[in-house]
Amino acid sequence: MTVTLLVDSLVRSVQVGSLYALMAIGLTLTMNVVRLPNFAHAEYITIGAYTALIVSLGVSSNPLLILGAAFLVTALVALGSHHAVFRPLEKHRTSTYTMLLASFAVGLILRYIVFLLADYFELFDRRIQIPLEVWYRSSVVILTNIFFWVVPTSIGLVIAFSLLLNRTPLGREMRALANNFDLARIIGIRVGRVVNLTWLLVGGLAGVAGALWGLYTSVNPLIGWFAILSVFAAAILGGLSSFPGTILGAYLVGLSENTLMQILNVTIGLDFSFKPAIPFIIIILVLLFRPQGFTEFLRSNRGLRR
Amino acid sequence: MNIDLFATLIALLTFFGIAALMAISLNLEYGVAGIPNFGQALFVSIGAYTTGVTYTRLLPLLAGQEAINPCGATLAPALQLRSEIMRTMPAVGLGNFVLTLLIAAVIGGVVGYAVSYIILRLKQEWYLALVLLVGGETVRIFVRGYQPIVCANNGISGIAGPFAWVGNTQTASILFALLVLAFAGAAYWYSEKLARSPYGRLLKAVRENEQVARSLGKNVARIRAQVMLIGSAIAAISGVLFALNIGFVSTNDYVVTLTLDVWVMVVLGGLGNNRGALLGALLITLMDRATAITAIQLNRLGTDIEFNYFRYILFGVILLLMLRYRPRGLLPETRFTTPAHQYLARSQETGDARSP
Amino acid sequence: MLEVHEIRKDFGGLRALDSVSLTVPAGQIVGLIGPNGSGKSTLLSVIAGMQPPTAGRILFDGEDITHAAPDTIFQLGLARGFQDPSLFFQMTVLDNVMLPVKRQRGEHPWYAPWRRFWNRQEMDNAVRAGDRLAQVKLHTQFDRRASDLSGGQMKLLEIARCTMGSPKLILLDEPTAGVAPALAYDIFRQIETLRQETGTTFLIVEHRLDLLFDFVDSVYVMHMGNVLAHGKPAEIETNLDVREVYFGD
Repeated sequence: MTVTLLVDSLVRSVQVGSLYALMAIGLTLTMNVVRLPNFAHAEYITIGAYTALIVSLGVSSNPLLILGAAFLVTALVALGSHHAVFRPLEKHRTSTYTMLLASFAVGLILRYIVFLLADYFELFDRRIQIPLEVWYRSSVVILTNIFFWVVPTSIGLVIAFSLLLNRTPLGREMRALANNFDLARIIGIRVGRVVNLTWLLVGGLAGVAGALWGLYTSVNPLIGWFAILSVFAAAILGGLSSFPGTILGAYLVGLSENTLMQILNVTIGLDFSFKPAIPFIIIILVLLFRPQGFTEFLRSNRGLRR
Repeated sequence: MNIDLFATLIALLTFFGIAALMAISLNLEYGVAGIPNFGQALFVSIGAYTTGVTYTRLLPLLAGQEAINPCGATLAPALQLRSEIMRTMPAVGLGNFVLTLLIAAVIGGVVGYAVSYIILRLKQEWYLALVLLVGGETVRIFVRGYQPIVCANNGISGIAGPFAWVGNTQTASILFALLVLAFAGAAYWYSEKLARSPYGRLLKAVRENEQVARSLGKNVARIRAQVMLIGSAIAAISGVLFALNIGFVSTNDYVVTLTLDVWVMVVLGGLGNNRGALLGALLITLMDRATAITAIQLNRLGTDIEFNYFRYILFGVILLLMLRYRPRGLLPETRFTTPAHQYLARSQETGDARSP
Repeated sequence: MLEVHEIRKDFGGLRALDSVSLTVPAGQIVGLIGPNGSGKSTLLSVIAGMQPPTAGRILFDGEDITHAAPDTIFQLGLARGFQDPSLFFQMTVLDNVMLPVKRQRGEHPWYAPWRRFWNRQEMDNAVRAGDRLAQVKLHTQFDRRASDLSGGQMKLLEIARCTMGSPKLILLDEPTAGVAPALAYDIFRQIETLRQETGTTFLIVEHRLDLLFDFVDSVYVMHMGNVLAHGKPAEIETNLDVREVYFGD
C-alpha cells in the first residue's frame, strides 16, 4: 500500500475524528444533563449544515459568519425542541421510552421539514461555497484550507467546551445537575436556566459540527443521519459520561472508518460498502465487552459522573 | 380523477393486513411485554431481503433449472425466468412461498432473540432501541452497497405473489388479499390467546417490575428474548408479504420511517390492546394511502412540492400529540384477566371451580 | 436449612457487611434485629441473590447459592418479601398471587394459546390461591386491582404471595412496618400458622421487638455489619451488649 494512500486516510481520519468529537460531545451532554438519549441530534447537525449552505450561497463567504450563523440557528432549534416537546412531556413524568420515541419523532419532523425546504429551493447535494485552496503541499500529503478550518475549529471548540465545563460557574452547575438533579435544585441552582443553556450549547455545537461537516462532504437532508451512528459509537466509547473518553472514542471511530478500512481493503480486499458496518460493530463490541467504555481507563475528573 | 374503486379496496385491505401484522408484533413486544423494539425496519427488511434472495436463487432450483444472476447483464433473462415459473408452475411457486416464509421467520426470530438476549442483559434498555434502530439502517446501507443480495441500489423486480398462475390478475389480487388477512387474523388470534393466558400474566408482571418478577423465580432475560423471537418472526413474515405485494425488493422501502409508522399505529391505537393495534394499523393505512394518492395527483397537476414529505411530518406530529395528550392510545388496555378469575368466582359460589 | 458463612459485602469503599455468619434450622422462625444501618436489609438482599457478596458462602438446603441469580434461588425454594410493598399494582390481587406458582404449563409461549393444555392446572391453582387469600381474609377482593388495597391489606397480600410458590424458607423484611398493632399481631399469627401447617422456615427482620420475641425461636442481633449476639429471646433481652447498642444503657 502506497504511503500516499495511508497518509491520505490518516488525514481523513483526523478530519472526521475531530468532527465526530464535536458532534459526540453534544450528545453526551444531553445524555447527562437532560438524561435523554436524543435521536434528534442528527437533525441538529443537518440543520447546521443547511444554515451554513444557505448563508454561503446567499449572504457571504466569510467562514466565521457562516459558522456563527450555524451555531445560532441550530441552538435556537434545539432550545425550541426542548420547550415544544421534551419539557411538556417531562412534566407528565413519562418513561424513558416515551422520551426516546418523542425524540425520534422530533428528529423525523425536523428532517422532513429540511427535505421540504431542500426540495423547494433545490438544495440537494450542494457544497458550501468556500473556495477551495491548497494550503500545504508535500510529497506525501496535500492539505487544503478545509482541513485547516475543520480540525482546529473542532478541536478549539472541544477545548473551549472543556474549559467551560470545568472552570466556569455555569459548568459547575451543569456538572452538579448531571450528578444529582434533585439535590441541585435544592441547593439553589436555577435548574431551568442551566437546562436552557445546555440545550443552546448542545444545539450550537451540533450546528457548527454540521456546518464543518458540510465543508467536508456535500450537503443533503440526510447528512446528520448518516453520521449519527458513528457519533453514537464515539459517545458510547466514552461511556456516555466521560468527555475525554468521548473525544478519544471519536478519533478511534474516525481511524477505524478510514485508515483501518483502507488497510482492510488493500490487504483482504474488503469492499468499501462494508464501511457503515464499522461503527455498528464498534458499538456491539463495546456493549459486549466493555460497556463502560473509556471511562475508568482514563480516570479523569473531567467527566460528568464518577 | 380516475380511481378503480374495487381495486383500491383490495389494495387497501392487503396493505392493512400487512400493517396489522407489524402492529400486532410491536404491540406484543412493547404493549404487553414492555420491550421497546425500534427495529421494525430491520426485521421487516429481513423478510423482504430473504424474499429477494429466494425468488431469484431458490425458485429456479425448485423448478429444476439453473439460477441466473438477477443483477447486471443477466437481469432480463433472470426476470423472464422467474416470471415464467411463477406463471406456469403453481406448485413450485407455492413451495417457494412457503419456504420463504419459514426461512424469513427463522432468520428474523433468531436475530431478534440473539440481539435482545445480549443487549437486555447489559446496560440501560434503551441501548436495545438504539442498536436495533441504527442496526436496521446499517443493514440497509450495507445491502444497498453490496451487490449479491438484492442487486444493490437497483433492487429486484418481478417478485410475483403465490397466485401469479391464476389467469385473472384481479382474482389473483383478491386471493392474495385474503391470504394476507388470514395471516393477520392468525397473528391476532395468537396474540390474543397469549395475552389471556398465564404467559400474558407473566409478561405483564415482567413489564411492570422485572426485579420483583425475577425474585419470584421468573427468568426475565429469557422471557424477553422469547417475546422478541415471536415478534421479530411475525415482522419478518410481514416483510415477505410486503415485498410480494409490491412486487419488488428495494432497500428504499425499509428506511427508518417504517419504524416510525408502526410505532404511530400502536401508540395511536392503544398500547397493550390487540384491537387497538388493528385500529391503529387501519388508520395509518388509510392515511398513508390517502397521502400517496394525493401526492400522485398533485404531481400530475405539476406542483413543485413533494407531498410525501408532509406525510412524515404529519405522522410525527400525530405521534407527539398522542404521547402528550393520550399516551394510552385510543383504545385502552383491557384488563387481561386470565380465566382464573372466573374459576375462583365460580368456586366461591358453588364450591366447585369446574365448569358443568 | 440456611447457612450463611462469613459474608462480606462492600459497596465501593463502604463495608456494609463485615463477616456475618448465621444458621437458620429447618422449621424454625428466626429473628434478625439491629439498629438502622446495621446491614440487615443488605444481608437479606445478598441471601436472595439481588446483590453478590464480596466474600463468603451461602448454603441453602445443601446447595451453594452464593452467586446464584434471584430467579434460580426462588426456584430452589427461597422466597423473599420486600420492605416496601413489591406487588404488581397494575394487576389484580388474584393475578399477583398466582404468578409465583412454579412450573406453570401456561407460562410457555408455545403452549399458552391452547387453553386445554393448562386449564386444569390453572383451576387448581386458582382454588389454592383462593384458600391462601381466605387465610389472610382477602378472598373477596381477588378481582380488585392491587393498587386499590389498603396498606395493611397489601402487606398481607405480599405474605400470601410469598407462600404460593411453596417455598421452604421465607425471608421477610419488616413485615409489620407501618401497620396497626392488631394487624401486626395478626400477621405474626399467620406466620406461625404457616410454620405449623407447612413447616416453612422463616428469617424475619423486625423492629417491633415485643412482638417478635413472642414468636421466634431464636434471634440474631446485628450491629455495624456484624453479628453481635445470638440466642433465645429471653437471653437477648438481658444481654448487656445488645442493650447498649439498642438503648445506650
